[in-house]
Amino acid sequence: MKVAGVTGEDAEDRVRWRKLIGCVLCSALMCKAVDIPDLLDRASQRSDKLHSLSNMLALELVTIGRVTMPRPAMCHTSSLLTPNDKEQALQVSESTLMSLARSLLKAWQYPVGVLSNSANLLPHQSKASISNKLQELQEHSRNLEDGLDVLSGKMGPTAQILSTLPYRGGSDLGQDKMSKLINFNFLLSCLRRDSHKIDSFLKVLRCRAANMQPNLC
Amino acid sequence: MMKNDGGVRVFWLLLLFLLYTRGKSFSVPGKPTLTRCRSPEKETFTCWWEPGSDGGLPTTYKLYYRKEGSEKEYQCTDYHTGGKNSCFFNKNDTSIWVNYNITVVATNALGQALSDPLNIDVYFIVEPNPPENLNVTIQNDKGWPFLRASWDPPTKADTRSGWITLIYELRIKLEEEDEWEIHHVGQQKVFNIFGLQSGGTYVIQIRCKPDHGFWSEWSDDVQVVVPNYFPNKRSAWVLLMVFSGMVFLILSWLLHLNSRNLKHCILPPVPGPKIKGFDQKLHKSGKSVDAFKSLEVPDFPHHTFSKSEDFLVEYIEVYVPEEQELMLEKSNNLHNGCLKSESSVSDCDSGRGSCDSHTLLLDKSGHQTNTQDSQTDEQKHGEALQGENLAYTHQDMVSPDMSAGRVKTWPSVFSPLPQNRSTVDQTSSIEIAKQHCLSDSLLPSDFLTPYHSPPGHCTREHLGSNYWEFDFGNKQPHLTQPQTEACHQIQAHSEININTGVKAEPAAHKFPTPRSNEYVEVQRINEEDSVVLRPVASNYDKLFEMQQGEDYSRVKGVDSDNVLLLLQKEAMEEEMNMCPCEQLTDTTGAHYTRFARSPEKPTACTHPTPQPLEERVVNGYVDTATMFTMPPY
Repeated sequence: MKVAGVTGEDAEDRVRWRKLIGCVLCSALMCKAVDIPDLLDRASQRSDKLHSLSNMLALELVTIGRVTMPRPAMCHTSSLLTPNDKEQALQVSESTLMSLARSLLKAWQYPVGVLSNSANLLPHQSKASISNKLQELQEHSRNLEDGLDVLSGKMGPTAQILSTLPYRGGSDLGQDKMSKLINFNFLLSCLRRDSHKIDSFLKVLRCRAANMQPNLC
Repeated sequence: MMKNDGGVRVFWLLLLFLLYTRGKSFSVPGKPTLTRCRSPEKETFTCWWEPGSDGGLPTTYKLYYRKEGSEKEYQCTDYHTGGKNSCFFNKNDTSIWVNYNITVVATNALGQALSDPLNIDVYFIVEPNPPENLNVTIQNDKGWPFLRASWDPPTKADTRSGWITLIYELRIKLEEEDEWEIHHVGQQKVFNIFGLQSGGTYVIQIRCKPDHGFWSEWSDDVQVVVPNYFPNKRSAWVLLMVFSGMVFLILSWLLHLNSRNLKHCILPPVPGPKIKGFDQKLHKSGKSVDAFKSLEVPDFPHHTFSKSEDFLVEYIEVYVPEEQELMLEKSNNLHNGCLKSESSVSDCDSGRGSCDSHTLLLDKSGHQTNTQDSQTDEQKHGEALQGENLAYTHQDMVSPDMSAGRVKTWPSVFSPLPQNRSTVDQTSSIEIAKQHCLSDSLLPSDFLTPYHSPPGHCTREHLGSNYWEFDFGNKQPHLTQPQTEACHQIQAHSEININTGVKAEPAAHKFPTPRSNEYVEVQRINEEDSVVLRPVASNYDKLFEMQQGEDYSRVKGVDSDNVLLLLQKEAMEEEMNMCPCEQLTDTTGAHYTRFARSPEKPTACTHPTPQPLEERVVNGYVDTATMFTMPPY
């Protein structure tokens, strides 16, 4: 399994800035620092919600017709190597898992925006609902990203590694309606899978961290 | 080899010939259909397909699949684990987050058929097995039982590592019921159920679902019997009945207590007629005359009035000089009210009857009022008499409740009144009496000027009794003692100030010529405050005749000296001349006639029969030997 890409400097700056603020606030308010299991719990809840949204979106599009959509070769995140089964997933370290999750999440930041912008142009009857869900999804994605940044700060340097997975699909999804629909569908399926990956990684991490709560895992 | 090939072909031909001769048709197999694929734990999965027609020939099915990113075709290795027409992908063959392209090929002797490809990814076909080891126990919570259900996740699902996250759902129902009660449990593996029916049998089932997957099948039933924690169902009913009965009793008792109030609230009583003396029964019986009769006052003046005017009693109020007025002022103030009624000169509603009496001398002029007002002082003095009619020498009846203390007396000087009155006899029924209040404004030169005071003047008796009001003054004009003292001595010392006016002449003209009647009544009072008298009707005599044993003085006439000539009842005519001058020139300068009771104070005037006078006076009546000057007729 290869980890590709190096984190950008701006991302590191952002993380450092957030850490600083967090420390200052906590010390000022005499608050107790939230521990990692709680953070993971919250993160997994948010990723769960994220995946649910993408799931609903994908199912909504599929109901248009029983036409089997031709699949382009690969999702833009396919280059990221991730565990494909349970044994592999359980062998990966937590930091790596966190890094993978964060990378995937970051890779989808831009495409989700593209999807959200293109939603109103879709030749679909329920494009309003799709557009709403996409906007909600975008918000959740941002929140999760920020949370994972905080988490990764507590987990070690390996967790901070972010792989760049550039999206090369372009700002629009196609020239004509059909291609737009096909590309939209394809993107949504990729998103659906990747959000599930993120959710699974975080839940594995949660169970690994919550040794004191066997009832959860 | 060639022989074998030929043999196979011959075999096949023979087979076909045989089949053909049997009448069957053979065809290529129908297209199979992949129905579903499921992964119970995200580690393995199984796919099922639906075969098409077999074409009458044995058909074999094969499943081929390709993985995403590779063109290598794999074939299913396990067609049995999942049952018929299934393919089981074991752990080695299963990859998650990888797209599978699966195809089933049906092959028979004549051909093969390919199914439509199915694209699946393991992550979204997860359907776990039902939870295992469902265990329901009965626990006790302070005597109230509850069920505790516990279970285990399906065996293969690895929830420990967090690879799969399961959420559970439990459902429960009574054995005899049809509808289930579903409880969402979450990720925990223990659940408590409360609110159980005593002695009931419950059936519980459980199922689970991965966070993003399909629900499992319901587990097997678990039955549990709840013990009878209600001692007796019937006893509960008994308790309830007793309690409600008590409540009902209390409510009815309260209602009974307040029945009257409630009745008043709900059904307010209809107000009945409130006429005093009105007898409803009589009225209902139809005899309205009788019913209304009770409303009549026996001594209503109307009746008596119309009947006999001989009940007329005239009072002359004696004028009280200035000095005595002051004393009178200090008298009982109670009588003010009586006096103030003078304003209602024309009050005819008092029912005294004197309003419409023809003998009413009331002059409704303003002058009258003035004169009346000025009498307040005198009347106060008169009222100082304690409600006793005693002093009334020839009084008239009137009603006993002279609480006002009006003095009723009479000047039998004027008109001989039936002496039917004893001091005690006040309660006799009334004869009509007129009130005459002597005006203050009576000038010394005036004469006796009684005038009629309005009935309203006297508040005590509203049934038509008229009273003479008297002002009794002490002999001494400057009497400082309370008038009461003097009042009680009325009998003894009644000083009636009678003004003999010089205007007798003019007033005299107003007097009618004397007829055979002996009595005079006051007709009216003229401007000079002089009383205009006139004789009373003849029927008056009868009344007087009835009252015997009393001495009345009748007016015989008035001589030229303005002396009122009175007669004794015994028809003895005695003319007494009073020396008014002596009286007149008394200290007060007013005209007084003194009736002395005790011999100690004989009147200054000499009269022929002092003895009789005294005797009479003892009784409190004015004897005939009263000498008043009166303007001649």
